[in-house]
Order: sequence, then C-alpha cells, then structure tokens
Amino acid sequence: MTSLVTASNVSKRYGDIRAVDNVSFEIEKGKIMGLFGPNGAGKTTLLKAVLGLTDCEGQLSVLGLDPFKQRKALMKNICFIADVAVLPRWIKVSQLLEFMEWTHPNFSRQRAEDLLSRTKVRKDAKVRELSKGMVTQLHLSIITAIDAKLLVLDEPTLGLDIIFRKEFYGNLLSDYFDGERTILITTHQVEEIENLMTDIMFINDGRILLDSSMETLPATYIELTTSGADADTARRLGPIYERDVFGKKVMSFEGVDRERLEGLGEAHTPSVADLFVAKVKGAAA
Amino acid sequence: MMINQLALVRREIWEHRSIWITPAAVATVVTFLAIAMVIMVAAFGEAVNPDIEKIADATVPDSVRRAALAGILLVNTFVFLMAMWFLIVFYCLDALYAERKDRSILFWRSLPITDAETVVSKLLTAFFAIPIATMAAVVVSHLLNLIIMSVWLATAGANPLRFIWSAAPLFDTWAAAFIVLLAVPIWLAPLLGWFLFISAWAKRGPLLRAVLPIAILPILEYIIFKSWNLGGAILARLRLETMPIFDILGFASRFDDDDLHSMMAENISMVSLLDIRAFLTSAEVWAGLLVCGLFCTAAIYVRRYRDDS
Repeated sequence: MTSLVTASNVSKRYGDIRAVDNVSFEIEKGKIMGLFGPNGAGKTTLLKAVLGLTDCEGQLSVLGLDPFKQRKALMKNICFIADVAVLPRWIKVSQLLEFMEWTHPNFSRQRAEDLLSRTKVRKDAKVRELSKGMVTQLHLSIITAIDAKLLVLDEPTLGLDIIFRKEFYGNLLSDYFDGERTILITTHQVEEIENLMTDIMFINDGRILLDSSMETLPATYIELTTSGADADTARRLGPIYERDVFGKKVMSFEGVDRERLEGLGEAHTPSVADLFVAKVKGAAA
Repeated sequence: MMINQLALVRREIWEHRSIWITPAAVATVVTFLAIAMVIMVAAFGEAVNPDIEKIADATVPDSVRRAALAGILLVNTFVFLMAMWFLIVFYCLDALYAERKDRSILFWRSLPITDAETVVSKLLTAFFAIPIATMAAVVVSHLLNLIIMSVWLATAGANPLRFIWSAAPLFDTWAAAFIVLLAVPIWLAPLLGWFLFISAWAKRGPLLRAVLPIAILPILEYIIFKSWNLGGAILARLRLETMPIFDILGFASRFDDDDLHSMMAENISMVSLLDIRAFLTSAEVWAGLLVCGLFCTAAIYVRRYRDDS
C-alpha cells in the first residue's frame, strides 16, 4: 500500500495552546478516512496543515510534497471543500467553469457539465441565486470533475437538509470515489458516513485517540449491555467508559475477548458515535 | 503562469463590476452634458462655450479650431481621469478584503494558484485593466461628443466633416490620454501598495484603517518635529498634476495660466507635451514602485501566513 499522507510528530501551536499535539498517522491510497473530534479538538487545524494552509512543526508529507512549501503543486492533485458556503456569491456558474478550465490542469469541463446537467443548477445563474443545497451540488460537481488524488472534506454537508446530505454522499461514492482516489472527511453527522468509511480516526485536545480501519473495529471494541452482579464482574475487566441506559449499564471495552463478555450480557459492536463518546469521555475520566 | 494571470484578471473584472460600470456611467453623464451644452450654445450663443462657437466659425484658422476641439476633448478626458483615480483607490482597498469577507478565499486557495500570483493579478488589474477599460470609455465618449456636435453643425447648415472630423486631433488626444491613464496608477503606486496591504490585513473597515495613518502620521510629524515632509510627499502623490510626466507643461505651478492654454493650443501634438522620459527616469516614480513592491510583498505574506479561515 502507498501512503498518500504521512504525518510524523506533527504539532501546531497558537500561542500557548497546542491545537495539534505531536500527532503521527498515515492515510493510504484508496481509503475513505473519517476524522472525528469534538469542537476545538484540532480537526480543522490538522486538515489545514494537510492542505498547506497553515505551517506546522514535525514532518508532514502529502503526495510526497511538503504541503506548506509546495502548496501550488499539491493543489493540482488535491481538492477540498472547506465549507458549503465558500463559493464566491457573485460568480456565474458558467464563469466558474471557465475559470476552473483556465487555471486547473486536471479539471474536465465536459465532466463538470455532465454532472451539472443532472441537477437543477443553471449555467447562467449566479451562485447567490442558488439554494444552499444547489451550491453544494455545484461545488461537488466541480471537485468531482478534477482528476485529483486526494479529496479533503471539512463538514461538507453542514446546514443541508437530509435529502441533500444523502444525495451528497451518494454522489460522492458513485461519481468521485473509484477505489484509486482517497478521501479525508470530517463531519459531526457521524451516522451518515459510518457505512462509507474504510478507516477512522478520533482526535481530542490535539491528540489522536483512535486510528483504525473499520474492518478491525469489531474485534477490538465491544459494547456490553448488562446489569446487577454481571455488571460488577464486567467492570473488573476494565471498561473504558460506562453509562446508564434505562436502568441498565452500558460498558465499552477495548481489547477484551468477545467470548468473555458474551456471558455477562448483550455484547455487540458499538456504533461509531457511541465509540466516539466512549473514547473521548473515557480519556477524560 | 501567463494563462493563470489572464484568468485571474478576468476574474477581477467579473467580480469588481465597477471597473467597467464606473467609466460607462461617466461616459453616459458626459454625453448628456455634451447634449445639454450644444442645446445651450444653440439657444444662448457663444457666451456659454466660446470653444464650440469657434469650431463652427468658418473664418477662424484651422489651428484655432483644432485647439478648440482638443480643449473640449481634454476636459472630457479629465472627468474620466478623476473617476479612475477613485476607482483604482477603492478597487485596491477591496481587492483582498472582499474574498475574506465572503469567505471565498477558502475556495480560491483550494486551487493551484499561489498567493503571489493572486496579489500580482490585483496589481495588474489596477495598473492595466482599469486604465484600459477607462480608455475604451474615453474613446466612445469622445466619438459620441463629436457626433453630437456634428448633428448640431449639420442642422445649422455647416459641414461636420470639415469642421469636426478632419479638424479634431483624435488619435493624438487618445494617445496622450492613454499614456496619462497608464501613468496614473504608476504614480499612485506607493498608495495602491499600501491599500492592497490594508485590504489583505484589515479584519474590518479597510477604508478607515488605510486613511487614518495617512492622515495622522503627517500631523504627528508636524507636532513632534515641526516639519511637513511626509504630509507634503503624500499630498504631492495625491495631486496628479505633480506627476513628472507633466514637467514640460509645468501643470503643478501654472494650472490656470493663460500661457499654458495657448501653448497647448498652438502645439501640434499633445503627446509631445508629455515628458515620458522625465516620468520613466524619475527617482520619485521608482521609489514609489519600490514602496509598492514592499507593501505587496507584505500583502502576499499576510494572505499566505495568516490563518483567518
């Protein structure tokens, strides 16, 4: 496997605050990596470092380039949607396509027009005349028409209704993702991308709490719903987090044999959202 | 690189529609004024505008008619020059501020375009795109002005081909106008660089932040050192008649001088009254460009390093 992104002891400080604290990870080609963290965890700072929008300490290599120093070369092969609202509001759709065609060596205008023809976005419309959902469709069509190796999405569906959100991820998988391309995505709506991620990373207080493939999660993390004496037995196995649900105890375990837990209650693989809460709260406890 | 710059300057023209709306609006107003002037001259005679009467007078020598026409065209051009001054200043103040205000900077920075290329494209817009757009409006406005006078002459029974179209020094006026329009942003370069820097740096209210230091620093210099060097230098930059290109005419000291007007009237070529050599070899011009370069470098640095997304 080839690593597209390699971070080794990467840190970013804002004054006394360490937004990213000595982080190391790799993202391999063809993966869809979900990056999750509470507000202020350092997600956006990390993404900015990957995109060369901010400098950082440590070694960071993206597509074999130093993202901050070689940003122009990098941007030929990386796309990002930082927010749904960043397309310039004054521009006409046709002007945007023309500008992309002139400035981006890997942009296919034909492909963008094909993708847009499936939407209600008119080419003579200005961005300010489009609904938020349509702006996102436009942005995704443009990004999809770029033959890029890595796509970075930072809260790409924030503020969109459920129909547009579903459609966004549907289009992302069917039109953009082809097994060769790589996606790095952050969102608060974890449930919506749970089934499309191949890898997952949790970050909190600038540190990585979890970096795993989705395939190996069930073998490592188990959630147990139990009560009474079984709960006390289970607790001795060292859950990373425990919560009460309708009078029962729900415990999250890391690296404990499923067989040992199954006799103590109902054992199942936690959802990403529950695992996220367990890791963040467990680390804080 | 070249194609990127062309695309970026086109983007500026799409975004800042004032680049062509302002000259077009000035051309419209000037045309209406020309119509009003002709009507008033027809109604009240030469007291309104002696130049127009001279044009129609078959007894005046061709050189006087030519000078009268040149005078009309120059006054017309002067209005565009003033409008362009404001246009360029406000363009530079907005150029790197608007993209941050609407957050589109995040989109622009997702493309393979460097911060330096972006700032250079703003400079090229101020130095070339705006003067060229203004020049196009000047040409249209001059032609409309002459057409209006032709209609008036024709209705009065005179031959416009003889009195206007073969007499008006159109190409010479246009060449002179274009040279001056191109010289203005070069002369204003240090201020434009400063405005571009402020537009990249100011979190809000770029106009106030750009103007306050220019106003306050000279006053401080006066209070502390009892000297007026900075204030004098800034005021000299703001007044276009001090441009070294006008050295032959000596505009700065004799703006209302009758000799000056007769000199312009008698001269065959207006281009020859422009001291292009003095302008291009002027230490003031080059020092100004250097200051502009420093401020633009700072603007690139701010756009690249400041994390305000």
